[in-house]
Amino acid sequence: MQHILDELEKRREQARKGGGDRRIASQHAKGKLTARERIDLLLDEGSFEEFDMFVEHRATEFGMAEQKIPGDGVVTGWGTVNGRVVFVFSKDFTVFGGSLSGAHAKKIVKLYEQAAKVGSPVIGLFDAGGARIQEGVEALAGYADIFLANTLYSGVIPQIAVIMGPCAGGDVYSPAIMDFIFMVKDTSYMYVTGPDVVKTVTNEDVSHEELGGYRVHALKSGVAEGAFENDLEALTQVRRLIDFLPLSNREKPPVRESFDDPDRQEPSLDSLVPANPNKPYDMKELIYKIVDEADFFEISKDWAKNIVCGFARMDGEPIGIVANQPQVLAGVLDIDAARKAARFVRFCDAYNIPIVTLVDVPGFMPGTKQEQGALIKHGAKLLFAYAEATVPKITLITRKAYGGAYDVMSSKHIRGDFNYAWPTAEIAVMGAKGAVEIIFRADLNDPEAIAAREAEYKQRFANPFVAASLGYIDDVIMPHGTRRRIVRALKSLKGKQLSNPWKKHDNIPL
Amino acid sequence: MFSKILIANRGEIAVRIIKTARRMGIATVVVYSEADADSLAAEMADETVFIGPAPAAQSYLVADKIIAACRETGAQAVHPGFGFLSEKAEFAQRCADEGIVFIGPNPHAIEAMGDKIESKKFAAAAGVSCVPGHIGEIQDVAHAVRISEEIGYPVMLKASAGGGGKGIRVAWGRKDVEEGFPAVRAEAKGAFGDDRIFIEKFIESPRHIEIQVLGDKHGHVVHLFERECSIQRRNQKVIEEAPSPLLDEATRAAMGAQAVALAQAVGYDSAGTVEFVAGQDKSFYFLEMNTRLQVEHPVTELITGLDLVEQMIRVAAGEPLGFEQKDLKINGWSIESRIYAEDPYRKFLPSIGRLVRYDPPVEGAADGYVVRNDAGVREGDEISMFYDPMISKLATWAPTRGAAIAGMGRALEDFHIEGLNHNVPFLAAVMDQERFKSGQLATSYIADEFPDGFAGLEPTPFQADVMTAAATYMHRTLAARARRVGNGLSGPLSRTEWVVAVGKAKRPVKLSDLEDGLTVELPGEERTLRLSTIDWRPGLPLFRGELDGAAFTVAVEPAGEGFVIRHRAAKARVLVLTPLSAELHDRLPEKKKADTSRLVISPMPGLVVSMDAAAGQTMREGEVVCVIEAMKMQNIIRAEREGVVKAVNAKAGDSVAADEVLVEFA
Repeated sequence: MQHILDELEKRREQARKGGGDRRIASQHAKGKLTARERIDLLLDEGSFEEFDMFVEHRATEFGMAEQKIPGDGVVTGWGTVNGRVVFVFSKDFTVFGGSLSGAHAKKIVKLYEQAAKVGSPVIGLFDAGGARIQEGVEALAGYADIFLANTLYSGVIPQIAVIMGPCAGGDVYSPAIMDFIFMVKDTSYMYVTGPDVVKTVTNEDVSHEELGGYRVHALKSGVAEGAFENDLEALTQVRRLIDFLPLSNREKPPVRESFDDPDRQEPSLDSLVPANPNKPYDMKELIYKIVDEADFFEISKDWAKNIVCGFARMDGEPIGIVANQPQVLAGVLDIDAARKAARFVRFCDAYNIPIVTLVDVPGFMPGTKQEQGALIKHGAKLLFAYAEATVPKITLITRKAYGGAYDVMSSKHIRGDFNYAWPTAEIAVMGAKGAVEIIFRADLNDPEAIAAREAEYKQRFANPFVAASLGYIDDVIMPHGTRRRIVRALKSLKGKQLSNPWKKHDNIPL
Repeated sequence: MFSKILIANRGEIAVRIIKTARRMGIATVVVYSEADADSLAAEMADETVFIGPAPAAQSYLVADKIIAACRETGAQAVHPGFGFLSEKAEFAQRCADEGIVFIGPNPHAIEAMGDKIESKKFAAAAGVSCVPGHIGEIQDVAHAVRISEEIGYPVMLKASAGGGGKGIRVAWGRKDVEEGFPAVRAEAKGAFGDDRIFIEKFIESPRHIEIQVLGDKHGHVVHLFERECSIQRRNQKVIEEAPSPLLDEATRAAMGAQAVALAQAVGYDSAGTVEFVAGQDKSFYFLEMNTRLQVEHPVTELITGLDLVEQMIRVAAGEPLGFEQKDLKINGWSIESRIYAEDPYRKFLPSIGRLVRYDPPVEGAADGYVVRNDAGVREGDEISMFYDPMISKLATWAPTRGAAIAGMGRALEDFHIEGLNHNVPFLAAVMDQERFKSGQLATSYIADEFPDGFAGLEPTPFQADVMTAAATYMHRTLAARARRVGNGLSGPLSRTEWVVAVGKAKRPVKLSDLEDGLTVELPGEERTLRLSTIDWRPGLPLFRGELDGAAFTVAVEPAGEGFVIRHRAAKARVLVLTPLSAELHDRLPEKKKADTSRLVISPMPGLVVSMDAAAGQTMREGEVVCVIEAMKMQNIIRAEREGVVKAVNAKAGDSVAADEVLVEFA
């Protein structure tokens, strides 16, 4: 009997070795951990339970029949993050370069089905060379099966992709459908076609890093929601993110005891908005000062910085924050900002996470580049996302809320639950100067008259009280008491029930 | 006594004066510029008067506006503070003419001491020792030798037109003069086209020691002992103390007597300071006299128990001094650190901005020392470009110098500032230096001790222990809470054995709970750390506790992984890892630092308002490259690295697109 039990250990040992010691050493030399080491860091100590450790591919052509490694290039299974169940797949670059075979794909799809059944997130760790070309269409079918699973369970269970090595070709579309993509700086890249193909087609000489490194995706394209220094930091931060999220759309977000006083006053917020209306200030100061323990997990921190999105807690309850950032482009809404925030708002709505919106927006970005880039449709995404969202929505206008952007930023009119304003708020169609130049076009040559009109317009509209008198602002609040007011508002909204008309699905302007 | 005074100043000194006036039952008026409309001083004053735009030349320096403000409010006297109008004789005269009392010395004294040559003449006449030297034509080497020998070696041979270290030579003996004199002369001729040379006594490793004097309108003058202000950076005082560790009773008495003699000679009738340069051999020579309250006056107040502002007000009102020299005694020791908004890690570049967090140590008696913090700011205030970038003056008092230094170290630990860079870590580094503790000061101290600038210090063994203990406590608190969210699958956090990395140094620890803290066993070293009296909860930026009974405060912030912890000048990333995770950390090779771009790229489309970089120019990290206006807001673009500018691709008035290359570094 003993030798049968020993056989299991032997087989496990062999599977754990993956592509062997030499390839593992090479993985380390590149500054990367192995698939299993990554899982060990991501999950609670000793909590990982592996599935399909002995699965092998069934390909026979091109000498594949002789090359079989148990597990076939992907490690799958489940474990816990701070005691909460999550499912993980981790591509093993040491086995066939992590390439995707039919058997490899089946493991992932199986994992997805199990995760969706129990209502737990899937975390995918990517480090792979693409399709296993020896398998031909079998590999392509495998990709499509995964894409389908990604799509069907989108909005059901959170899906997080961490790119920790190459991710190219068919491999990129799975993360692309998932909720968040994080990259590891300098050791990861993603692109649809690699430098060789680029060279052939466009005669462009470009490196992996230039084509698809974190600088491209976390700074320019917005494909990635963040980038971290190394594997260790990336996995630590994914754990941190999971702590904010419900495990599925069937759950409420995880409440955790707070060490922070819900009534904490912040006198310095009274001087956050500068006296000079053209002087920028850092909206993140407001975020850090009102959330629990100054703990804010920012999404797409280095892309479309004119809008800030991220997760935090208020008296222990997770919230999503969307905030215009006056420090960057005056907080204007442009294509990228609208795309970034729209996707974030929809994620929050899908997973029952209340949204707190902090508004200081001068309007939409003018210019031919923006119009040609379809600002209208992209801007509409954010409007649509806010309008359809049924989670608790709390809005605070700190300074400017001009024009259509006012409507977009979770206004009362699109079902904002609590709409607050600071006394410094200005809610108007546009700034006083611009307004006067249009209304009193005839007086344009008379600077004195214009100045008088401007002062008049300012007096009338550059405050929150007109909107408050119409009920569009529920209350004008003191900046130093903001935390307390938002905490209270969130508590009062705990029982919120709101649903949209029945539909097969909506038709958001993609 | 006055019933209302006006303060023609701003910031901490305005607040300082208001406090004393309030205690004396005198109403206060503060004048303020546009930049100071919401300042603490303006809030505290009984009345305020607006005096114009932010630049001092258009507000605080305009005598007419100050006089008008006095008229408007009925203030009977003006306290000028320091800087601004405080040493302008014409302003003091103007006040006298207008029938407003100037809380400071009479115009004649200001004028006499305001002129460098004039003041030296007065000093010499009053029997004050001046730097021995010879001003005038020196014919030849023999003449130079004769003069040098009269003065006494070492002497300094200096080109009259010299500057920037050129044309200066120190001679330690006759031979040096014989060789040096022709050389300096030739150098002076070459560099400045002027070969006139003068010779004066060379003071090796000079120290800056000054005597506080106080006079009244009845001819009485006393001195309030000395302050030593040798810790300077670019002639800006950074750390001051009273008394001086250099002086003995005899020297102190001699310096005090000379200072009083000078004050009497000019009819001095307020608080003033006679500055000396002192050699390590306790020789001392007159430098100049400051006819105002000094920035560093708190250290004198702390060792004498006198309130100098009160004394100034009393003598200005005509009261005689209420004490004589023999009534005055030095009690204990006091140190002052000037907290500046500057980046010590980046060559002390000014770092203006908003005080996002400002939480100074609690004033009053602490454990074995007393804390005083003179500040004119609150959390949320702006340190603006218009005025001195000083945030506050932190002073400690204790019975001995050692205890005052230790207290300063602790007070600096307790000082929390966010939003801009500050020199607290640098000041703490000085407090921890053996040389400083031993009192071996010199005006070259900072240049001697930090020749390559300041880069922070490696943690000492004690600091590494403190960081280890604090990090394990924080980690446990956070991890235990995180687990309580779960569905119980992992159970409570039960692990007791961890590996703690302070920077790169890893060591295993074994934890167990104490009644009010944590025991951290270090199996590798057969030692146990006891962390107690913990004052921290998640989200707080300062962690206070006692390690084996020694009180400490560290600044903590979460990092991508673990924490960044700073204790005084030592800052490290601290990780609390499971043994497996520690092993994986070891397995992962350290990444090569990514190439920082040589380009300064426009972060947004906009209009270039100003271009401050020029080809060939060397820029420091953090220096302003250009200002771009976008959406009617001005965005300052700074150099992310040090380097020489290779090309400038945009000029003021240009419209630039996002990602456009503005400046290229070589």
